[in-house]
Amino acid sequence: MSYVQRETPILADLCTSLVEDHVGELAARIFSVLARLGRQTLAAIARASYLSARQIRNGLSVLLQHNLVFHSPVGAPLVHYEIDWHYSYALVRQGSIAKFVEERFDKRASNVVANLLSLGPTRIGDLKEAYFPAHDADSDDESDDGTANGSPLKKAKTNGVNGISTKTNGDVNGDSHTDHHATNGATELGAQRKHPADDIPAEHVNGEPVAQDEGVIASEKQLLDIVQLLMREGWLMEADQTQFLSPGDLHAMVQETVIEEEHHGIAPTGTKAKDDMVRSILRRKRKIRDGWLTVPATLSSRKRQAPDSGHDRSTKRLKTNGGNEWSANTSNGASSQRETSPEDDIPIRVNPEKVAVAMRSAQLVHLVEQRLGLVTAQVYQTILWQLERDLPRCFEEWPDPPLPLKPGEEPNVEPPWVDPESLITARDIAKNLDRHLDVCAGLDPHTIVKITGKGHVRGNVLTEPVDPYGLSLDEKTRVVDAHIHLLSEDPFHFVSWHSRAGTISRWRVEFDEISKALIQYEIENTVLARQKGLGVKLIRALKKKGRLDERGACNAMMMSANDIRGTINDLTVQGMIQTQEVPKVDRREAKHSLHLIWYDRQRAREKLLHDTYKGMLRIIQRIAFEREKVQVLISKAERSDVVGNEEKWLSQSDLDELKKWREVQEKLFLQLTREDELVATLRDFIGPLVSA
Amino acid sequence: MDLLYEKCAQRAAGTIFFQRDLQNMQVAETLGELTMLVGQLCAQHLLKLMTFDSEMCWKLRTRSEADKLRRLNPDERLLYHHIDQAQNEGIWSKALRARTNVTQQLLTKCLKSLESKDLVQSVMSVKFPNRKMYLLKDLRPSEDIAGGPWQSEGDFDAALIDTISGVVARYIESETCIKVPGNWNDYTPMDRAQAIAQKKAQVQGVRDIEDSLAVQPYKPPVDPTAVRVVHRNNPQYPTAGTVASWLNAKEILKDKHVRDDDMEQLLEMMVLDGRLEKISGATYRTVLMASDTKTFNGFVDAPCGNCPVFDLCGEGAISARTCVYFGEWLATESEVI
Ligand code: SF4
Repeated sequence: MSYVQRETPILADLCTSLVEDHVGELAARIFSVLARLGRQTLAAIARASYLSARQIRNGLSVLLQHNLVFHSPVGAPLVHYEIDWHYSYALVRQGSIAKFVEERFDKRASNVVANLLSLGPTRIGDLKEAYFPAHDADSDDESDDGTANGSPLKKAKTNGVNGISTKTNGDVNGDSHTDHHATNGATELGAQRKHPADDIPAEHVNGEPVAQDEGVIASEKQLLDIVQLLMREGWLMEADQTQFLSPGDLHAMVQETVIEEEHHGIAPTGTKAKDDMVRSILRRKRKIRDGWLTVPATLSSRKRQAPDSGHDRSTKRLKTNGGNEWSANTSNGASSQRETSPEDDIPIRVNPEKVAVAMRSAQLVHLVEQRLGLVTAQVYQTILWQLERDLPRCFEEWPDPPLPLKPGEEPNVEPPWVDPESLITARDIAKNLDRHLDVCAGLDPHTIVKITGKGHVRGNVLTEPVDPYGLSLDEKTRVVDAHIHLLSEDPFHFVSWHSRAGTISRWRVEFDEISKALIQYEIENTVLARQKGLGVKLIRALKKKGRLDERGACNAMMMSANDIRGTINDLTVQGMIQTQEVPKVDRREAKHSLHLIWYDRQRAREKLLHDTYKGMLRIIQRIAFEREKVQVLISKAERSDVVGNEEKWLSQSDLDELKKWREVQEKLFLQLTREDELVATLRDFIGPLVSA
Repeated sequence: MDLLYEKCAQRAAGTIFFQRDLQNMQVAETLGELTMLVGQLCAQHLLKLMTFDSEMCWKLRTRSEADKLRRLNPDERLLYHHIDQAQNEGIWSKALRARTNVTQQLLTKCLKSLESKDLVQSVMSVKFPNRKMYLLKDLRPSEDIAGGPWQSEGDFDAALIDTISGVVARYIESETCIKVPGNWNDYTPMDRAQAIAQKKAQVQGVRDIEDSLAVQPYKPPVDPTAVRVVHRNNPQYPTAGTVASWLNAKEILKDKHVRDDDMEQLLEMMVLDGRLEKISGATYRTVLMASDTKTFNGFVDAPCGNCPVFDLCGEGAISARTCVYFGEWLATESEVI
């Protein structure tokens, strides 16, 4: 995912603004030094920044705590610091991460994730402490955890509602947990539901209103359950020293080990040996990285009947069978003496790559919704969410290079091996589909008649209506199958047929191909918005035919040269297409030259990515400017005596102005998120493209 | 002689007469007389001598045309002859010169005069865009030089393409899509799931949480007139061939035959236009959009994505602070400098 993090000045400016917004000005100043100068030592930063050594150390530790900079390996004679561009940029995604987690799990899980994001890597023990302080409320504020994690912990207490609310809820839990458990089952099931009416029965399952707020984590046990689940699904991972190594340092370290262990300490020279070394290095890098994502044994063995057998996961519940254990745990809940458990020492953090997977799913679902309708989109979402669990990232950053061909050998065209676990069947989807979805909608009525075998179609209306909620699983499976066919026939090929097991078709999602199509789609969208149809037509023509001269372009587009010349010009100026003059005779005369136009997807992609960074920076700058204009008012509104009594202290025009500011801010933030989505599409879903 | 001419003129224009056809008109007494009459007519350019399968045959010219031809000078007549031979393929002016050996000046002059007399026409070749091709006025240029049914005068006929692609788009939509009215499935939400759950509960004596959750599903109100277009179940996706034969059968294009290649060109163009999409190698279907609200992407929907001074914008006079586009978009004041 770190690909094309070309440290353009724009990206540097953008990240500096983000850092300033998220972790403060001091850190941002050091960040900008590193952004300007690249990899630096402490002393060099001091020279370049006019800051005292103490300030620099503080700033750096904040940056390090948030994984915004790398540092060279521990034990190296001179410590170098270097920006982690990827993670710095990812600051803009923090809100999205919490949102995605909430969509997939619940508020509690997203709360954990949000806290981890603001804390940086944290030991599980500290996380427990943050949620369930062992001390009394009054000793809370200046507690004795004065180590490196001191400040973030305090932060967690202020923004994590839990710290306070558990105390009030603590004893209620003792007797209401059975109810609560039932409720949870319900809420999770309904997680995909949209209709507001559904919430009511869920809350009152057992006739008694449940006092507990859905978003509150009730116990350490529950917290661990959440952490474990999030780790298993790849949202959290173990924090590790190697994560602080810059790509270069990591490479050097791994290379050293490989040379040491496999080549007796001598760098190999032969082609074959070199190739072996490259492969080993890649293999080890992958191993290190995948190691972070394995759920530590102490955590996974904790629960004996852990539902990780692969099938249960699909039911998507935080605790499928945790009922008994849980009651045992709550009885000696938060108030009792904390026992130290083996998992306490495991440091965890948010997996920065996972959010791109979720973003990809969200965008694909949105695209399907536009092209094929809401219901098919919901079917697709179910498919994607099911696959997501096993996808810690969008694409392999360190794939093995293709094997060198032996002379006379055909390139291997065998389809890549596909994990049978990642295949989809209509039946699985039918089972997991939100049961409140009118699955029949969006299909040809003839399909429905064929499936139910009842009545027929007259004037495209069913003579015998079908209750979509009363379908048998078999019928539902076939309806879902019809949606899957729609998905696969679409030119995006949202799903592809893989194989048949018995009579059941198995499908897969070819993310790489779809991601390429998505990039193309966004480029076309951009051009469409600027040039209307003509530009897109030209780009598509060039994409299909490769290099064209003017005549060829005219023929493909069936238009006269005069009509397209302007468009060619505009697109060239925007950097979306390129033109080239190929002289046909010795004298370079324009008249005798061939004028070729072509379109390079990778180039257009990078150009658009760069422009988008710039667009984001402008939005952030505009937010700052808008805030500046109402700064006085904001400070006034935030005064403790004013909060809650706004009507009393602020004039009507002040209130209006504040309201306007909030709207403006919201609009700008929304747009920022949308630009970030574009960045994800362009940058994070697939590696560099070699376009034809 | 006039009688023979009149008799021939009674036939459909463009008819080709063989000797036996002329004989059957019974104008001449003897074969010799007929030959003489035909010879006279030819000399006056009222008949045109041709050969078909190495047999002589004739074609009638109109009197006015013959009149014009009689007034040509020999050079012009020579050129006319060669242009005539090229028929609807046309002949390139350079080739004409090579064949007739006249000087460039004379050539230009004669061709001009022929054109002004409405006897020949010149067309820009589509294959070789800088070649001027000459052919007789009454002929339709062949596709090689005029470029198929979609072109006229060597250029794409935008109006024609527009009309035909509209017709074709409608045809393909009717083949591959289906209009479904809002009330197509007018079910009464009968709570079968609940019924099953109850039965199960009775049998098992326990309440299954999942089943008991089957609350009455929310059924959104439907507007029976709200028609949605969806992809057909198992359609016969059209190919260039099927669309071409459909179009030819409809005879929308007067006296033009659309070959499969021509149709493929049109369909491919419509794919580029985003009106059709390709399903497999050679089949097409209509592009549907399930929602009408079109947003582009985060970048171009914001002011900067469409900004004419995007590349100039930065720290100075043009910046996010002073930006008029943002001001407009957010309805806020920008900094004035
Ligand atoms: S002038 Fe305004 S719209 Fe244009 S790039 Fe600058 S901030 Fe964006």
